[in-house]
Amino acid sequence: MIQEISHITEHIVFIYGCTLLCIYTLLAYMALQGVRKFKRRNDYMDYDKVLGSELLPGISVVAPAFNEGLSIISNVRSLLTLNYPKFEVVIVNDGSTDNTLEQLIVEFEMQEVDFAYDEQIVTQPVKRIFKSRKAVYGNLIVVDKVNGKSKADASNAGINASTYNYFLCTDVDCLLDRNTLIQLIKPFLEEEEKKIKEVGEPCPECGYVHVIEDNVRVIASGATLRLGNSCEVEEGVITRMRPPRQLLPRFQEMEYIRAYVLGKMGWSAMNAVPNVSGGLGLFDREIAVKAGGYDAKSFAEDMDIITRMCAYMIENKMKYAIRYIPVTLCWTEGPATLKVFGRQRTRWGRGLAEIMSIHGRLIFRPKYRKLGMIVMPYNLFFEFLAPIIETLGVFYYIYLILSGSVNWPYAVLLLVFAYLFSVMISSLAVLWDQITFRYYKTWKEVVGLCLMAFLEPLIYHPLIVFFALKGYFNFATGKKHSWGNMQRQGFGKKKPAMAVTK
Amino acid sequence: MFKLSLPDGPFAIEIASILIGVAVFSTLLAYISMLIYRLKGYVGQKRADNTIPLVDNLLLEKVLLHPQINTEIPKVEMVELAKSFDIKELNPGWAKHLLIARLVNYRKNVRGNIGNAIRSLFIQLELDSVCLKMLRSRKWYKKAKALYILVEMEIVIPDVTLLPLTNSHNHHLRSAARLAYIKLSKNDPFKFFDVVTEPLLQWDQVELFRVITSSENFSMPNFARWITYSSNKSVVSFCLKLVVHYMQLEAVPAVIRLLDNKDHFLRANAINALGKMDVDEVADQLLHMYHNQPIICQTEILKALGRFRNQQAKEFLKREFLHSNDFNLRKHAARSLINILSKEDVLIKELMNNATKESLMILKHCMDPLIKF
Repeated sequence: MIQEISHITEHIVFIYGCTLLCIYTLLAYMALQGVRKFKRRNDYMDYDKVLGSELLPGISVVAPAFNEGLSIISNVRSLLTLNYPKFEVVIVNDGSTDNTLEQLIVEFEMQEVDFAYDEQIVTQPVKRIFKSRKAVYGNLIVVDKVNGKSKADASNAGINASTYNYFLCTDVDCLLDRNTLIQLIKPFLEEEEKKIKEVGEPCPECGYVHVIEDNVRVIASGATLRLGNSCEVEEGVITRMRPPRQLLPRFQEMEYIRAYVLGKMGWSAMNAVPNVSGGLGLFDREIAVKAGGYDAKSFAEDMDIITRMCAYMIENKMKYAIRYIPVTLCWTEGPATLKVFGRQRTRWGRGLAEIMSIHGRLIFRPKYRKLGMIVMPYNLFFEFLAPIIETLGVFYYIYLILSGSVNWPYAVLLLVFAYLFSVMISSLAVLWDQITFRYYKTWKEVVGLCLMAFLEPLIYHPLIVFFALKGYFNFATGKKHSWGNMQRQGFGKKKPAMAVTK
Repeated sequence: MFKLSLPDGPFAIEIASILIGVAVFSTLLAYISMLIYRLKGYVGQKRADNTIPLVDNLLLEKVLLHPQINTEIPKVEMVELAKSFDIKELNPGWAKHLLIARLVNYRKNVRGNIGNAIRSLFIQLELDSVCLKMLRSRKWYKKAKALYILVEMEIVIPDVTLLPLTNSHNHHLRSAARLAYIKLSKNDPFKFFDVVTEPLLQWDQVELFRVITSSENFSMPNFARWITYSSNKSVVSFCLKLVVHYMQLEAVPAVIRLLDNKDHFLRANAINALGKMDVDEVADQLLHMYHNQPIICQTEILKALGRFRNQQAKEFLKREFLHSNDFNLRKHAARSLINILSKEDVLIKELMNNATKESLMILKHCMDPLIKF
C-alpha cells in the first residue's frame, strides 16, 4: 500500500516537474521573441525627438519616503531631472521621524497650500500638502501624512494627490534611467487592438446609441530592475554598470535578470504578467483607483494591486494588457547581509501566502480567463507550492536513502538533470539580457555573473526556499511582522549611510 | 553500480537523459552565442572607434570648414568632395553603415546650408541607394530603419513605394511609413489620411504630431475635410488636435457638427477643441446638452465654459460647483468660475463665505497660483 502511494506520488511529482520545465522553456522562447522585437524597434527609435510632442500624456511619479533624511534631497533632484515633457513628482512623507520633511521644505522652498485632496483611496490622514514657491520646482508636490506602517498606504496617498491619468510608482531611493517615463508610457500608447463598438438600442434619454471602446487597455507596464550595489553613480545617473561584487547581491542580480528578462518578458508576450514590481511600475490611475489602490495591510502589495486591477477589468468586461520591456530602467540596492535578505524574503513569502489566501477564489475560474486559468494557478503550483514540494522531496529522499531504496544511478542522473536545466535557464536569461544591451563593459563581469548560474542551485536557492517557508509559517501562525531596517550603503559610495524603510 | 543502461530505464530516466543532453547543448550554445555576440559588439565598437574619428575629420576638413559652406557648395565641387570619402577604410559595408549613421547624426543636429551640404554628400556618396536597397528587404525592421534614414536626409521616396507601406500589417513599419509620407511626399503629404484603413495608434499620433508641427516645408490643408468625411475615428480625433494647434477657424463648423456624434470620445475631443479655440457661440449648445453627457464630455464642457469666459455660464457653473456629486466636476466648475470671474468678485466672495469645508478647500485650491491643475 505504502509502495503504491509513493509510486503515485513519484508520478505526480514527475508530471509536476515536467510541467514546470515546459513552462520555463516556453517562457524562454516567448521572452526571446519579445526581446528581439523590442531591440529591432529600438534600433531606430529616437526618443529625444518624440519628447517634443505635445500629445504625450502627463505622468505622476509617486515616491513614498520614510526617514530618508540622508539621501532625500539628491534622490528628489534625480527624479526631477527625468526626461519627459509633462510630469510631476509626488513625494509622500510617511510620518518620518527624522528631518526628511524639513529638508524638503528648505531645499525646494516648499510652501503649504490649500490642496483639494480627494481621498479616493482611504489612507491614514494627510496632514499637509506643499508646493514649491520656485517655478523651477513647479512640478514637485510633497504630501505629509500620518505614518501608515506600510509603503502601500503612502503610495495610496500619493495616488490620491496625483493629477495625471498615469502614475509611476517607485521607491525614493531607486535610481531611474532618464528616459524611464517615455519608455514606460510607450506600451500604453501603442496597443493595437482598438475598436469602437456600439452597444444596445438608442438611449431614451440622449438619443445616442452608446458606444464603448472595445480595445485592449494597457493597465500597467514595467521594466527590468537591477541591483546598483556596485555601479558607479554621478549625480543620480549610473555612469558605469557592474554586477555586485558581494556574493549575495550578485545572486540577486542573476535572479532579477531571470525574473524580468526571461520570466516577465515571457509572461508579457502571453499577456499574463503576474505582477509589476513595487520598485518600478507605471499604472493606469483610473483602473488602479477603481480597483481600490494598494492594500495597505498586504505584504505583497505590488502583486495584490495587479491581481485586483486584472479582476476589475474582467468583472467589468474590459480587455486589458500588462506589458513589460526588457530594458533596465531602475536600479535598487539589494540587501547585502543574510539577516536583511532573510527578512525581505520572509516578507515576500508571507505576502505570497497572503495573496493565495485572499485571491484563491480566482483560481481555476474560467470567468477570470488568463488570470483564473494561467496566472493564479501558476502562482499557486509553481510559486507558492514549489518550496513546500521541494522540501517534502528532500525529506522523502532522506527516507529513501535510509530505507536503502534509492537507485543511485537514476537518482544522480535526475539530480544532474535538474541542476543542468536550472543552469541552462539562468544562462539563457543572461544571454537574452546581453542581446537587449551589452550591460557590462568587461568579459570578466559577464563571466562573474554567469558563474552564479552554476552556484545558485547549490547555495542561493536553498536559502530562498528556507525563507519562503518561514514566511508561510509566519502567515499560518499569524506572527506579527516588523518591517525592520534596511541598512543601505548608498549608490556608488562607501559611506555608512543608514536609511530606514518599513 | 553507476553503469547506466538507458533504453531499459524507466520513462522518466529516459526523458531526463535526453533532456540532460538538451540542457548541456543549450547552455553551451548560450555561452557561445554570448561570446559571439560580445565579440561582435567588441569588434563593432573597435571599428566605430577607428572609423568615426576618420569620418569626423573628413567632414570637418572637407565640408564644415569649406569656404563656401555659408552660401552653397556648388554641385561640381560636391562631386569632388565626395571623392575624398572614397577611401579603402570606408569601402566595406559596415563602414558605409557607420558613415550613414554619422551623417544622420550630423544632419539631425544641423540645418540650413550645412545640413544641405551633408544631404548632398549623402547623395553623392550614393548612400541613398544603400537605403533604397534596405527598403526592398523582406524584413520590416530593415525597411523601417531605411525609412528613418531617408526621412532624416529628406530623400524623396516614390509614392508608389511608400503609400502601400502606410497600411502595412506590421504597425511599427506602418508608423514609420506614415511619418515618412508626411515628411517626404511632395504632392500631398496628408493623402494617406484618405486611404488609411488601420487606426492611428496614440503613439503614431504623438510622432506624427511632432513631425507635422515641426515641419515648415508644407502648407497646412484644411483638416475639416477629414473631420467631416473620414470614417476612421482616429484620423478625425488626430485632425481635431491639428485644428487646435493651427487654430484653423475655418474648420470650426466641422468641429461643431461633431457635437452630435454618437462616439463619446470624439464628442469630448470636439468640445475640448472648441474650448481651446474659444468658439463661445457654442456655449448655449454645450449648456443644453450637458446633462445628457457622460462624465468625460461633462468635464470638457466645464473646461470649455471656463475658457470662453462666458458670463452667462456663471450661474450654471455655480450650480454645478455646489450640487454636483462628482468631486472632479466640482473642481472643474470651480476652476472655470474663477477663470470667468476675478477672485474679488461678489459671487466668489459669497461662495467662499457660505462654503462647506470641502467647497472652500476646492475654491482655495483653484485660486492658488502654485497649483496648476
